[in-house]
Amino acid sequence: MADTKSGRFASSSAAISPLVQSPENLECKNFQEYLRTRQTPETLEKLYNYPPICLAVYRELPEIARQFVIRILFVDQPVPQAVVTSWGAQRVAKEQMEATSCLTALCVWRVTAIPGGLAAWELSPTFKKSVRQVLLGGGKPWAMTNTLDKDSKPRDITFLDSYAMSRWRCVLHYMVGTGGRNGGTDAEAISPDAVRILLHANLMKRDERDGITITRQGFQFLLLDTRAQVWHFMLQYLETCEERGISLPECLSMLFQLSFSTLGRDYSSEGMNSQMLTFLQHLREFGLVFQRKRKEGRFYPTRLALNVTNKDAAQASTTADEERMQERGYIVVETNYRVYAYTDSQLQVAVLGLFTELLYRFPNLVVGVLTRDSVRQALRGGITAEQIVSYLEQYAHPNMKLVESAIQSKSCLPPTVVDQIKLWELERNRFTYTEGVVYNQFLSQNDFVTLRDYAQSINMLVWQNERTRTMVVQKNGHDDVKRYWKKYSKSGG
Amino acid sequence: MEIPDVAASKEAEASIDLLAIVLDTNPSQQIVRQNPQNLTQILEAVIAFGNAHLMQKAQNKLAVLSCSHYTTEFLFPLPGRHVELRQIDGQYEAFSLVEKTVKQQLGSILMNAPRLSAPCESLLAGSMSMALCYISRLQRNVPAGVKMHSRILVLTGSNECASQYMTYMNVFFTAQKLGIVVDTCALDKTLSLLQQGCDITNGQFLKVNQLDGLLQYLLWVFLPSPQMRHKLVLPPTPKVDYRASCFCHRELIDIGYVCSVCLSVFCKYSPICTTCHTIFKTPGPLPVKPKKKKKTDKQI
Amino acid sequence: MADDEQDDQKEYRWETGYEKTWEAIKEDDDGLLDGAIAEIIQKAKRKRQADKTKQNRLGMMRHMFIVLDCSESMSVPDLKPTRLLCTLKLLEIFIEEFFDQNPISQLGIIALKAKRAEKITELTGTSRVHLKALAGLANVSLTSEPSLQNGLDLALKTLKVVPSHASREIVIIMGSLTTCDPVDINLTIDELKRERIRCSVISLSAEIHICRYLTQQTMGTFGAVLDDAHYRDQLLSQVDPPPAAKTQDNSLIRMGFPHSKNEVEGKDAPLSMCMCHIENIDEPSELSTTGHHCPQCNSKYCELPVECQCCGLTLVSAPHLARSYHHLFPVPNFEEMPYESVPPAAPDCGSLRKCYGCIKVLSPVTDKSVFKCGYCKQFFCIDCDIFVHETLHACVGCNTIPGVAGLVYQKQGGKAASKAAGNMQQQQQQHQQQQAQMQLPSTSKQRSQFNM
Repeated sequence: MADTKSGRFASSSAAISPLVQSPENLECKNFQEYLRTRQTPETLEKLYNYPPICLAVYRELPEIARQFVIRILFVDQPVPQAVVTSWGAQRVAKEQMEATSCLTALCVWRVTAIPGGLAAWELSPTFKKSVRQVLLGGGKPWAMTNTLDKDSKPRDITFLDSYAMSRWRCVLHYMVGTGGRNGGTDAEAISPDAVRILLHANLMKRDERDGITITRQGFQFLLLDTRAQVWHFMLQYLETCEERGISLPECLSMLFQLSFSTLGRDYSSEGMNSQMLTFLQHLREFGLVFQRKRKEGRFYPTRLALNVTNKDAAQASTTADEERMQERGYIVVETNYRVYAYTDSQLQVAVLGLFTELLYRFPNLVVGVLTRDSVRQALRGGITAEQIVSYLEQYAHPNMKLVESAIQSKSCLPPTVVDQIKLWELERNRFTYTEGVVYNQFLSQNDFVTLRDYAQSINMLVWQNERTRTMVVQKNGHDDVKRYWKKYSKSGG
Repeated sequence: MEIPDVAASKEAEASIDLLAIVLDTNPSQQIVRQNPQNLTQILEAVIAFGNAHLMQKAQNKLAVLSCSHYTTEFLFPLPGRHVELRQIDGQYEAFSLVEKTVKQQLGSILMNAPRLSAPCESLLAGSMSMALCYISRLQRNVPAGVKMHSRILVLTGSNECASQYMTYMNVFFTAQKLGIVVDTCALDKTLSLLQQGCDITNGQFLKVNQLDGLLQYLLWVFLPSPQMRHKLVLPPTPKVDYRASCFCHRELIDIGYVCSVCLSVFCKYSPICTTCHTIFKTPGPLPVKPKKKKKTDKQI
Repeated sequence: MADDEQDDQKEYRWETGYEKTWEAIKEDDDGLLDGAIAEIIQKAKRKRQADKTKQNRLGMMRHMFIVLDCSESMSVPDLKPTRLLCTLKLLEIFIEEFFDQNPISQLGIIALKAKRAEKITELTGTSRVHLKALAGLANVSLTSEPSLQNGLDLALKTLKVVPSHASREIVIIMGSLTTCDPVDINLTIDELKRERIRCSVISLSAEIHICRYLTQQTMGTFGAVLDDAHYRDQLLSQVDPPPAAKTQDNSLIRMGFPHSKNEVEGKDAPLSMCMCHIENIDEPSELSTTGHHCPQCNSKYCELPVECQCCGLTLVSAPHLARSYHHLFPVPNFEEMPYESVPPAAPDCGSLRKCYGCIKVLSPVTDKSVFKCGYCKQFFCIDCDIFVHETLHACVGCNTIPGVAGLVYQKQGGKAASKAAGNMQQQQQQHQQQQAQMQLPSTSKQRSQFNM
């Protein structure tokens, strides 16, 4: 008979066993993870028929993997595995193994046997062909590069930037709920398609009382930088595109063609089928491309579409001049926890209000202070300290960055403030006390598993450990569980 | 142990890699005189290699210089030159741009070349100094917080020219100071000066014996960036001999005499320096110690 | 005293050199002065560069003592954080630059503590020892007054026995306004003058007559600092070799060129311990195969240049000598011209004007003046001009255009250059013979792998 002990049982809220429910956080996948988790080997083969996708996959690989692939790109026979292993130095064996497993998981190469019986690696033929095409030429040109007449009214990069940001902000405003209400300039509502995607991505939820409101993950999404937001959004879109009848490979291929295009150049939309044109219209709504009229044969990719998977490339490619034209950082954080934001945008003020206490509001300046309460409120809402810190760093005023280069620290924020925010988060790791009853010394594993699952089903399980066959049940559920146990032991094992 | 590696590789992924290729297009090189097709082959390999470098990361940059017998010029990038380019095949348009620009520009250089009456040397050291100016300009304009690593690859089939010694040494010391790695791919002869340069700047030196596999050699040895070369197994660097040779007999010496004014090296003492004509103070006669006679010998 | 002042009227560089400086400093649009000060420093740099090219004989092998004032006045915080800490930081930079530009020279440090002089490091040719000693000086307690004469005497004692072909120098960094000397300092000054030791003074407070007199008598330079940027500038101006004193002896110095023995014998080198760490308690000598062996007595050393402890031979390698060549053959100054004088490039390049060195497109707004090399007649932007003269020491145009008369200036000093170069041909032939025997094993393996 199982032994029961009652008493107070303390648990640390940080260590949560997998069966107990924990609140969900926003998961942002990068392209590699997306491919690995979502796509089967057959779909990957189909995807590799498109050169732009192969180029994107190549750039996503870890560095050692890239070197291996390029070395065997021009070799026709399979290469023995022992030879490939010998290419890496001894001390980075672990990294090398990670690279090989990554290449296998993505079906970039596969194992074959060569005469002599040795196991060898061979690049997937479609992948090899596509990458060779991208590098050296041959094959068909990409869909959107037909020759165009010169545009009578060409658009320059400044215009494209402002267009892209205003469209994207529409989406964000909608999420925060400030769009349209105050009659501001960004009063355009977004299309039902976009709302559907937001709902699917769990960034907003449909409530009977309030209509459509923002969720916990939605808050976390707002704190991401623009590039990560766009990518996450596009991933969600890709998941729903099969339902709309758009083929995934074509969609991905189009997305990556845009990603590798040159900023400021126009491209032709001639020869695209209706699905792709629909996709283009959606992109136009989100601000990734600019098109003057729906029927027009040309479009301009904007900065949001470029290098959509890779944040570093975008940062590295802006020169000092261009930085001025783009969104400048506007937040100054002082060592006395005061936050000064030189902005008048409703959205930015609303986001700041999530984790700071706003004190004063001027036409071009908002002053707030980071207090324990304001940060804890944000933490309760599901935002992590890491996200708050990275948001502040990302939008830091250029003067803060000058300080950084002078004292050569990693972050431009004052270290005291950063540490304090993290401490406030750690403070929340408290002991919580739950009155409960301990069940242990089960005679068989089956007994344990049955009883545990029953307790789980009536939501009375607090903690369990399969190895030691111990579990803890809440005090008020103890009677139910005891009754069930008696019934179970009488009936069967 | 792992955490600094992970942080270092993340930083490496975010940084810009600039590759400047200095290509020797002098028609008086032996490999070109033997068979003019060789130059085309080398050019194709170089273009493919440059594109492979650009393929690694979206933020990588490329520059190609051609060192000919009458001029040194940039083949890529060409500021102010607007090339309207649409894809004609599956090649990524950035790579097509590189290929077209390089071929066009090199074609015009070779067309405008004056007739070659006698073999002339390639002014490689000067080309490298031009590459250094370009790299330092890019380095100045990099946005705050972004790191840029640069390297120079020299591809040549010429003999080394002794008269460029000073410029070579200045180039190597400058590269060492700025943290720029100099790699060399020798197509024909062994080049000891460039080998010294690779040693000083921690670069790779490779002598390729057959041109057929040139692209594969380049991809193997020179494509990985210097920060990750320690993770791969690459040809070992032979030890470079840094001995000086004397000015009178041109022989390598272990111990020599150095003039304090012009720093020229001699193997034996002479009262006048033959290069700067300074007269040296002759050392006085060495003081001689009076010998103490051994009494024991004489007495017996 | 009055006569001195009259004669010296023109020589107070920091007074008349910047005539009516309050007029020179103008606020720019934002009310900041930084730009104006930066321009003043830039002008002083160019003037120094212009002076540099006039000398042809320089003291390449230098023995320098740094005499550092460690008295109470060094704790004044007018240079952040204190004068001493600021000085130590700048000295670190100075030492690195000094050994970079003068690889075959030697440096030593003396500190003036509480009316006595203490030798912190002996004259050595490697920077590591000095950097470590400087780190130790940060914690010293600063009390009472310095004694200039004691410091000079201590330096004098060591510099007297240094061979006469090397230039002997002392750089004094004074923070205090007084000095506490045992005997008449003029005796020391006379002896310094006799021994042809060049003394320069950098004063952190104000100009002191005796320091000015000292530098005048010994042909040195005197400077007083305005702020830390100016201080850095003054200190780094000491890195350049001084003009060789007319009576400096020239002689042939015996030097050794170590090389590794592996290649010659074909076997692995034996394990041995190095001589440079043998008496070092903190980092003792380790058994290893790599190192530089003295050709005379075969003792091993880790770094070059070094003076062999056993046989007294100076050991260097050829690149060390080559590093100093650019002082002997500097690039002549470029002529400053207005933007319009640059000829536009060919029409197919868009008729743009480009800098020859870095192919930057020149615009009339940012490049008001461009720089032209007198020999190759090419135009350079201001950044390339600074880069060529301060770091690269080779004109891009003169080295890429064949047959340019500009190569003449290299040939002037230049028999040395061609002889140095003649070395290379010889070395090259020898290397070719050696390398023909040695095949790099991995490349042949790679080739066989891919059946190329």
